[in-house]
Amino acid sequence: MTKPVLALPSKGRLKEQAEAWLGARGFHLEQSGGARGYSAALKGHPEIDVKLLSAREIAEGLISGALHAGITGEDLLYDLAPDAAGDFETLARLGFGGADVVVAVPAAWIDVDTMADLERAGATFRKRHHRRLRVATKYLHLTRQFFGAKSVGEYRLVESAGATEAAPATGSADVIVDITSTGATLVANGLKVLSDGVILKSEAVLARSRRALWTPEQTGALGTLFQSA
Amino acid sequence: MKEAALMKAARAILAPDAEEIDPPYILPADLPLELSGESIRARLCTFTDARGAEWAMRPDLTLPVAEIETQRRLSGAQDDRAYSYAARAFRLPASSSDPMEFTQVGREHFSSADGEDDDMILFGRVIEAARMCGVAPRSVMIGDLAIVPAFIDALDLPELTAARLKRAFRQEGGVRALLEAPVRALTPQARAILDADDPLAKLSAALEQQSTARIGSRSPDEILEGLAARRAEDEAGGIPQSVHGVLKALGELDCDARAAADLLDDLCQQHRLEGPRRAIGAFAERFESLENIEPEAGDVSRFRADFGRRFTYYDGFLFEVLAQGLTDRQPVAAGGRYDGLIAALSNGKVSAYALGGVVRPDRLLRAKAAS
Repeated sequence: MTKPVLALPSKGRLKEQAEAWLGARGFHLEQSGGARGYSAALKGHPEIDVKLLSAREIAEGLISGALHAGITGEDLLYDLAPDAAGDFETLARLGFGGADVVVAVPAAWIDVDTMADLERAGATFRKRHHRRLRVATKYLHLTRQFFGAKSVGEYRLVESAGATEAAPATGSADVIVDITSTGATLVANGLKVLSDGVILKSEAVLARSRRALWTPEQTGALGTLFQSA
Repeated sequence: MKEAALMKAARAILAPDAEEIDPPYILPADLPLELSGESIRARLCTFTDARGAEWAMRPDLTLPVAEIETQRRLSGAQDDRAYSYAARAFRLPASSSDPMEFTQVGREHFSSADGEDDDMILFGRVIEAARMCGVAPRSVMIGDLAIVPAFIDALDLPELTAARLKRAFRQEGGVRALLEAPVRALTPQARAILDADDPLAKLSAALEQQSTARIGSRSPDEILEGLAARRAEDEAGGIPQSVHGVLKALGELDCDARAAADLLDDLCQQHRLEGPRRAIGAFAERFESLENIEPEAGDVSRFRADFGRRFTYYDGFLFEVLAQGLTDRQPVAAGGRYDGLIAALSNGKVSAYALGGVVRPDRLLRAKAAS
């Protein structure tokens, strides 16, 4: 039988917190190759194949079905899934890794406090400049969905690879959609969050892939973990 | 009949008296995205070259043909012109049973004068093309994207509010998203800026004080304009309940196309609106000549006031032909008016009355198999 694959974050705060959460439920992570190794096991559970991956890889794997279960951020799952309801199931929200995906504009835009104000500013901008306002983000899907639902169409997306909050300062975009836990980075970069601009209140979750092939044995192997979640 | 034979049959109806054209397959992604916005990206086949420039495979023939016509008009031509094509187009499928690459057989017509009959002649040709391929419509969806804007204009709203509603109508969340959006009153600071003798100087001073001098690519002028717009809308007292009622009724209007004009007239009467009567009359005339040309299509026609609001180029009368064995999201033929497209592509330098219609041989084949 092929073992089910459980993917856990491979580094940083998220890894420590995921490990602690599992430990509290009697699942202890054992890493081979020291703390920097990428293969691991759950002590006393040889029936589960554990992989240490980046949060993004875990979300991608759950959505494609390459992984059976994993701990990752909701922001990534909801942004990367073409069909969230059909791609994965959230078994538990874990109470850590909390942060908001928000729409932020330069604080100097004192005429823009809401998404409707941003729409108005975007329309005026397009008339004047013959191009659309630019929104930098790594959350392409979430942004498009949220702006669409708010009937804001006057914008263009610019994919950001990192340091999104600097985009307005460097001139590569005018507006950003980014993840923030305290908002301090946004303020430090002269930005403010729109009053109705919280797209997602994200935290770490234990999720199960709906796209993976599940044999009864694989379901059974992860059963105890799922029940304790 | 194979797909090639269907293509030939459709071309025989749609190609006469038109210049045959096969425009570039690949467009700068900016062309569709700046024109229609990011929402269309979900259906657009795009790729990035080694220098990071983004490109798109043509999602239909209307856009590249209109681009060619725009260039022709920019170089001084003013005569009417019709184009025909039987060409490949590329779209990320909305349904898993749809291909990413498919053929459209169609016709686009550009003129300097508004030929109201042109719509119906084209509609007739498209229905006939489907019929020559052995497919009779199970239903024809009809809309007119000039009608809701005509209602909005008649509602006695501040110009800025009316413009916002018209834009929202074409977005996914519709006018409802705007009607339900939170309204924030202007801060005393913002009011003080607007009331100053030199608002621009006051704004600059305020920004410097807050050390938020960084404003991206918007100018201080634009911020002042935005503040003034918000105040104007505040003072007008927001959007009245009666307006919510009219827009809700329009959003729900879904009826036999024969009843549409009367129901729209009733709505005018009920809310004492005269403005939309012209647009309703124009629609009624078009539908009447449609019934004269294609009585059987008239029998199965349905009208929705918001039909086609998400089809990015269309801005007037439009239709979709639905057939057996295919969903309502898989029309075998479609067409409509897009009088604003040439102006949008040329930044208002030139314009033309425009309409187009296409059939999808791959879907006609599936419809034939199902019937």
